[in-house]
Amino acid sequence: MTTAAAGRRADIQRRLKGTSGRGRKLRGLVNLIGPYRGRAALMFGALVIGVAASLAPAPLAAMAIDDGIIPGNLNALNLVVAAYLASVFIVWGSSYLQTYLVGWVGQRALQDLRRRIFRHLQDLPVGFYDSRPSGVLISRMTNDVEALNSLVTDTVITLFSATLTLLGSMVILLLLDWQLALLIFLIFPVMAVLSLAFRVASADAYRRTRETIGSLTAYLQETLSGVHVVRAFAQEPVHRARFAGINAANREANMKTVWLNASYFPAVEFVSALATVLVILFGGLQAINGNIEIGVLVGFVAALNGFFDPIGQLSQVYTTYQSGMAALDKIFELLDTEPDLTDSPDARPLPPVKGRIDFESVTFAYPSRAADGKPGAPAVSGVDLSIAPGETIALVGSTGAGKSTLAKLVARFYDPGEGAVSVDGHDLRSVTMDSLRSQMGYVPQEAYLFSGTIADNIAFGAPDATREELESAARAAGAMAFIESLPNGLDTEVGERGVQLSAGQRQLVAFARAIAADPRILVLDEATSNVDIHTELAIEEGLQRLLAGRTAIVIAHRLSTIREADRIIVLEHGKIVEQGSHDELVGAGGPYASLYHDWAQQAGT
Amino acid sequence: MSTLDATPQSGLATFWRLLGFLRPYRRAVAASFAFATAAMTMTVAIPWLTGRAINQINEGDSADLKTLAAAVLLAGVLRLGLTFIRRIVAGRVSLGVEYDLRSRMYRQLQSLELAFFDTEQTGQLMSRATVDLQSVRFFLGYGLIFMIQSLLTIVLASVAMLITDPLLAVISLTPVPFVILVAFRYGRRSRPALQEVQQRIAELTADVEENIGGVRVVKAFAAERRQEARFDWQVGRVFEQAMISTRLQAFYNPLIGFLPQLGLAAVLFIGGRQVINGNLTIGAFSAFYVYLLMLISPMRTFGVSLGLAQRATASGARLFQVLDREPRVTSRPDAPPLPAGRGKVEFRQATLRYPGAERDALEAIDLTVPAGRTVALVGGTGSGKSSLVQLVPRLYDVTEGAVLVDGADVRDVEVSSLRGQVAVVDDNPFLFSASIAENIAYGRPDAGDPEIRQAAERAQALSFIEELPDGMETVVGERGMTLSGGQRQRIAIARALITDPRILILDDATSSVDASTESEIKRALEEVMDGRTTFVIAHRLSTIALAEEIVLLEGGRLVAHGDHDQLLAASDLYRQIVEKGLPDQVFLTRKPAEREVAGL
Repeated sequence: MTTAAAGRRADIQRRLKGTSGRGRKLRGLVNLIGPYRGRAALMFGALVIGVAASLAPAPLAAMAIDDGIIPGNLNALNLVVAAYLASVFIVWGSSYLQTYLVGWVGQRALQDLRRRIFRHLQDLPVGFYDSRPSGVLISRMTNDVEALNSLVTDTVITLFSATLTLLGSMVILLLLDWQLALLIFLIFPVMAVLSLAFRVASADAYRRTRETIGSLTAYLQETLSGVHVVRAFAQEPVHRARFAGINAANREANMKTVWLNASYFPAVEFVSALATVLVILFGGLQAINGNIEIGVLVGFVAALNGFFDPIGQLSQVYTTYQSGMAALDKIFELLDTEPDLTDSPDARPLPPVKGRIDFESVTFAYPSRAADGKPGAPAVSGVDLSIAPGETIALVGSTGAGKSTLAKLVARFYDPGEGAVSVDGHDLRSVTMDSLRSQMGYVPQEAYLFSGTIADNIAFGAPDATREELESAARAAGAMAFIESLPNGLDTEVGERGVQLSAGQRQLVAFARAIAADPRILVLDEATSNVDIHTELAIEEGLQRLLAGRTAIVIAHRLSTIREADRIIVLEHGKIVEQGSHDELVGAGGPYASLYHDWAQQAGT
Repeated sequence: MSTLDATPQSGLATFWRLLGFLRPYRRAVAASFAFATAAMTMTVAIPWLTGRAINQINEGDSADLKTLAAAVLLAGVLRLGLTFIRRIVAGRVSLGVEYDLRSRMYRQLQSLELAFFDTEQTGQLMSRATVDLQSVRFFLGYGLIFMIQSLLTIVLASVAMLITDPLLAVISLTPVPFVILVAFRYGRRSRPALQEVQQRIAELTADVEENIGGVRVVKAFAAERRQEARFDWQVGRVFEQAMISTRLQAFYNPLIGFLPQLGLAAVLFIGGRQVINGNLTIGAFSAFYVYLLMLISPMRTFGVSLGLAQRATASGARLFQVLDREPRVTSRPDAPPLPAGRGKVEFRQATLRYPGAERDALEAIDLTVPAGRTVALVGGTGSGKSSLVQLVPRLYDVTEGAVLVDGADVRDVEVSSLRGQVAVVDDNPFLFSASIAENIAYGRPDAGDPEIRQAAERAQALSFIEELPDGMETVVGERGMTLSGGQRQRIAIARALITDPRILILDDATSSVDASTESEIKRALEEVMDGRTTFVIAHRLSTIALAEEIVLLEGGRLVAHGDHDQLLAASDLYRQIVEKGLPDQVFLTRKPAEREVAGL
């Protein structure tokens, strides 16, 4: 075999594989339905009965003609009509049951899947989010689950009922007249070749449509997120033109599938006409010769409907089936991502914390900055540091010195590559994350609020807090002044990500949130200058109250914070270069002293 | 808070408007309709021919059998060709409509003013632009064709039946109007139910988006389980609503399939007797029977299409809510471009109230900034600093009063000519998923490489860009490399610089940057400010020091205006700021500022 032929064969195999839904994907689907197997079984029962009953008209018509009408037997005719009505009522009842149960089981399974994805996302470590754009993750939960929705509610049912109808029709044809039936079945190889050709040809076409629709959505999402930049630079025409380009590519990709469908489905219909011709020619001659009863012939023509309808239906659901399977693939890929930062099997809850923190020769490099299998440059290396309970540590240093990395290691957002971080002598890897984080507060530099009221946000870390406790937390953080000036006070809605509040106000709420949680250990990435003087003063006071009596690690930018700290740690290139109190360090004449003198000179004090 | 929920529209009106999307394709729609009719005629002809063949067979006459078989074959071939063409034509229409819908939606989103996006959640808009758009195009693209096709089949088969035997036809077709009535009722009841499902899915999406964005906070407070409980509640709401619509579906859909079967029973019962009495041939009887069988599937399809139509109408209503929203910041079609000038800005009694807000964000601001002057805006949280500067490029319109740039009211000039002369660098710059070069050239896509490099250099960004793996071609933004806040800010400054604007707005452009970077950015800023009217929203004394004039705002009012010494003498608030607040902020500046901050 030539290599070209081999390559073509491999390509065809790939396409066939790409469109089949075997193995893990189907097992995954079955697992989703597992908890509701009782109802699912009932549903399939109803489906089988419904399909069987819906096949009755063709043989009943044959019986009506041959036993009732032609011999002129009214009783037999009445009996057949009664049987017919009975079958109709059965179809009615079973479709009701089936529709309801499909909806119930399908929706339940989908909601379970949504929950599972959400839980999984929550369990994945922060490092996972460093390298994944949020749009992609959101699309797992929205577009992909939606695609699965039609797979579960429409496609699977069509698949089963169409297959059953097809099989049932074949049985009926065989029972009516096996010779004529076998003649009709000669059409099968033709159909099989047609369908296989369609599947191979369309695999890439449908994949391409999914890709183009994906880039359309991503582009839309991005220009919506950056709408203020678009407006400010008046670049709407450029975006419209670019969007038009992606939109046109999507149309082109879809047009290919239209050509494929236009070739395939009419061909199936044509084959059904061909079958009718066969019945008339061969069946007709047989009937004239008296080998077949005329009713059988009518029944045959009627049953052919039930034979070709499902083939058309099966191909019609093919698109939704394919995109559903692709969605399932993506969803399972996400669910199969093992959280690499989990509680160890023998993790114990961390007992109530006194607040001692130890870094023992800690080295860490971000996995997301690794390239070609080689780890990136370490963000911190060989850090030894002991923090006493209640001590406030200020981390000082330039961008990339490793300040926030140290802070994140304490919250166990990451595990150190070498060395260990421990709290009260417990290695963080040996305790449960819940017990650690529930005793620890973290205030990121950009205060992230959730939609809901201010009160909801303050109660985020302390869901059981009373209204009074929330108010006193807000007061301690210095946030009460602005909150009281709002028309709805604590019940003011903050909007998506807190957009209804200013950056400074968001920060004060984030402080109140940390105070309400009352953590023993506080990690604070101090915001630099998002706030104005009023808020600044409020924040300084709030900060002092927040830090009082807790072990605190502050990535510090304000001199007041640095001065109040018990100890200042100066970092350079991931290493501690100097530590001590403000006065000690100024006296020592090292890097900190030169920073301080620069400041003093500039501020003119 | 959303401004989109309060516009009820009748379902029928929405439906007609949706059909309006087909207007540009009316010829193709008519052609597709004609081809469908012809193809359907063939489909109906096949049982008719078969019926005749059966009559012949019954009479034992084999002479015409081959002719009839050939006729069936011919009908099959014709149907093959007709359906192929119909599908291609209809496919083109459907994809054309989809294309049009998307571009119209995108155009509309691009022409709505910023204030709109403040009150609408991105997730909600996305869900309208994707899920709702999908169901509309599904209906216009496929559902409508199914609907017409099945209606056509019903009509043609009915006509054929009426010709064959009027009485039997009337009896067996009796259920048809009931089927349509039931289908209609079903649609009317399921539409609001489905709309609510979509609404709840949109809410759930917004919730997911927020959780992914705030994952660090969720984890830091060990709030995963509670967030999950909240999400479970949302999911439960979707389930409940989906079940309401499932129950409707389970009741109505089988009923729609059941009613026509009664017609079949009538044919067997009455038609059978007529054959026995010799009033009906056996061939006509079997053709009748096959016609009715043929009708069941179209009636069901008709019901399903009605469902699609209902869903599309529900979605269409949500689309039209966005499409009908008048852009509130537009320029007249004949508006002149911004007159030549050097960037003089005047605020005359400028008052601004955000939609839905209960008090003014700005109250009657009077301020004139001569061309080339640098003004620092200082004031408390919510004092109106950002609101004031956003009026200049007309990102928002004044509620009362006016804003003039080089003597022209900003509302009277062409918007893009105005915005081309005003560049904004905000505190958390957004970069697009594109190369750094493309991001810098954002406001001037025609800029050449030397210009891009020069802008980057003047923004003090070139050195770090050159250290990146792909240099200027490094892809950044949501789907690219993550840059630090300081790096993004310098790229944003370069982006502003390359448009060579008359007016520059720096919304605290040196926040979230640490000291050594800040001094670099400050140098970049001084470079950029040179020769332009500049507004700086300042929190740091070092930034204030860059300004020649200082405007002090409080609660949306201008409370003091002057140079540093004047304000020190005149304003207690300013003295407080200078004495207590800001000096701390400059602590980590490694290098002394180029300009001395006199007297501080």
